[in-house]
Amino acid sequence: MADVTLARLTKRFGTIDVLHGIDLSIASREFVVFVGPSGCGKSTLLRMIAGLEEISSGDLLIDGTRANDLQPVERGTSMVFQSYALYPHMTVAENMSFGLRMAKTPKADVERRVAEAARILQLEPLLDRRPRQLSGGQRQRVAIGRCIVRDPKVFLFDEPLSNLDTSLRVQMRIEIARLHRELNATMIYVTHDQVEAMTLADKIVVLRAGRIEQVGAPLELYHAPANRFVASFIGSPAMNFLPVTVENLSEAGVSVLLPEGQSVRVPRLPRAGLAQGSALTLGVRPEHLSLTAAEGARLTLQVQAVERLGSQTFLYGTLPDGTWTTVEAPGDTALSVGSRVTAWVDPSHLHLFDAAEQALPTL
Amino acid sequence: MFPAPIHTKGAWTVMSYRVAVIIALGLWLIPLMAIALTSVRSLEDINKGNLWGWPSKFLLIENYSAVFTTTPMATFLLNSILITVPTVIGSIALAAMAGFALAKYKFRGNVLLFAMFIAGNFIPFQILMIPVRDLTISLGMYDTIWGLIAFHVAFQSGFCTLFMRNFIKALPDALIEAARMEGVSEINIFFRIILPLVRPALAALSVLIFTFVWNDYFWALVLAQTDAARPVTAGLQSLKGMWVSSWQLISAGSIVAALLPVSIFFLMQRHFIAGLTLGATKE
Repeated sequence: MADVTLARLTKRFGTIDVLHGIDLSIASREFVVFVGPSGCGKSTLLRMIAGLEEISSGDLLIDGTRANDLQPVERGTSMVFQSYALYPHMTVAENMSFGLRMAKTPKADVERRVAEAARILQLEPLLDRRPRQLSGGQRQRVAIGRCIVRDPKVFLFDEPLSNLDTSLRVQMRIEIARLHRELNATMIYVTHDQVEAMTLADKIVVLRAGRIEQVGAPLELYHAPANRFVASFIGSPAMNFLPVTVENLSEAGVSVLLPEGQSVRVPRLPRAGLAQGSALTLGVRPEHLSLTAAEGARLTLQVQAVERLGSQTFLYGTLPDGTWTTVEAPGDTALSVGSRVTAWVDPSHLHLFDAAEQALPTL
Repeated sequence: MFPAPIHTKGAWTVMSYRVAVIIALGLWLIPLMAIALTSVRSLEDINKGNLWGWPSKFLLIENYSAVFTTTPMATFLLNSILITVPTVIGSIALAAMAGFALAKYKFRGNVLLFAMFIAGNFIPFQILMIPVRDLTISLGMYDTIWGLIAFHVAFQSGFCTLFMRNFIKALPDALIEAARMEGVSEINIFFRIILPLVRPALAALSVLIFTFVWNDYFWALVLAQTDAARPVTAGLQSLKGMWVSSWQLISAGSIVAALLPVSIFFLMQRHFIAGLTLGATKE
């Protein structure tokens, strides 16, 4: 259990900057998820915390101590790899105890720790098996067990579930959440899967191209994304974006004109420099477009594709000006490709982004 | 499936296939058969020119014991073992370590160094004959077993390093990183993780290098002059007398010389199955 602080952390590979000054503080016992598209630097950041990549500049503090130049084992971090990285020629018990044995830990101590980890992860019946005799989920549990026996200050997970199939992934997600509660440890978790991020995190860090886009609790990111990137990254299917122009600004919010000429007032704080006629981007999530008639503005779309998931249906269509828009409809909707659909907009669930793609703050 | 079974083709194809197989097999086996038969022939048979026919009498025990009693074959065999075994151990030990460094460490000149290992394999060894002979003479290693070992280790480790480097390169980096995260020293990573995982490669390479060095004739001829250092290949050549060649004894000696590498191949065969890393990681 330890807090982790990153201060102006950068990473350079040759002449290429992959991380541009990351500032972040992670509280003790917090579950933090780094999320972002591939190549955003999230894995590199994790590996820098782990001690597998050198830190180009900036400070890394673990438990108040500067850890930049410490060996991984001295940092008190332990990592679960995407590929599990189990030693194929060792049994489960040997895999879990290898590091301790190499460090000449007393035998009784090693056995006690392995037994404890095996109990927590329900690995007892598998201790004498080799990795190739285990299923993907079991291998992942062994990889976690290898961390637990070290009793680390910080657990690091590098996309641990991306090699598992969907149902197993859900199961392991719940398992990891349980472990976090039970072990009461600081955990840093890297994923590109926003569902994992939303379900596991106390705090999500959204990264893009080596910069932090937003840090916040899962629902904070969902309800108040700081910019268009976060808005489109969090939530599935992604948020719809429509080009709009400012009609007028008032204390009650910003009134904008939709592509079809209707006016809608969004309760957002206008930003300096915004004037009548300024171009903005309106953001609305598919689940906040309703097919039942309501007050306010509406969009009409020509349905081009329908995805039926049973509990809900997603309609993908184009507005008259050609903008693609997604609408969430009930699971049993009769609408099909070619239908014309009217979707009503709830102004309280609208987002506005300026030309720099930054969100206008909520009133 | 592929390739399509031959019996699904026309009769003409099947027939010509069968004939071709028998011809190929015959071409391949006839020399071996000739040697095997000659090794049990009598000297009269050979003098009468019965080189390919059925032997007039079988002198199995006589010829094979004569090889050991009337020629220094036992010394040659021992020399071969004394040269080959240290060469295999030395070149593979060096290659495993160099291969690990080249495969898993990033350092300036890594690729250049590796390229030199590869390039070394393309140098025709005949052009090294005079310099290597001069070098071993000035080092006092000419006509010694040590001289042959040193030269073979130096010459084989290039190919071995190429082989080991590529094999180790294929091991997932995450395995090494996981061990580093646990504070395992590099030397322990090499001995406890890398070596057990490349065992199939070590086995395959041992057999290969054993055969190369055991069958080497060129350097045995160049670097050894007396029976004290001569391995079996050069030794067989020396069995040819000035006036009489006892071909039946040379053949028997050849068979004896071939026994060891062939049996090692069959003993080590199962280690070639490189399935050990399967299931370790999911690619």
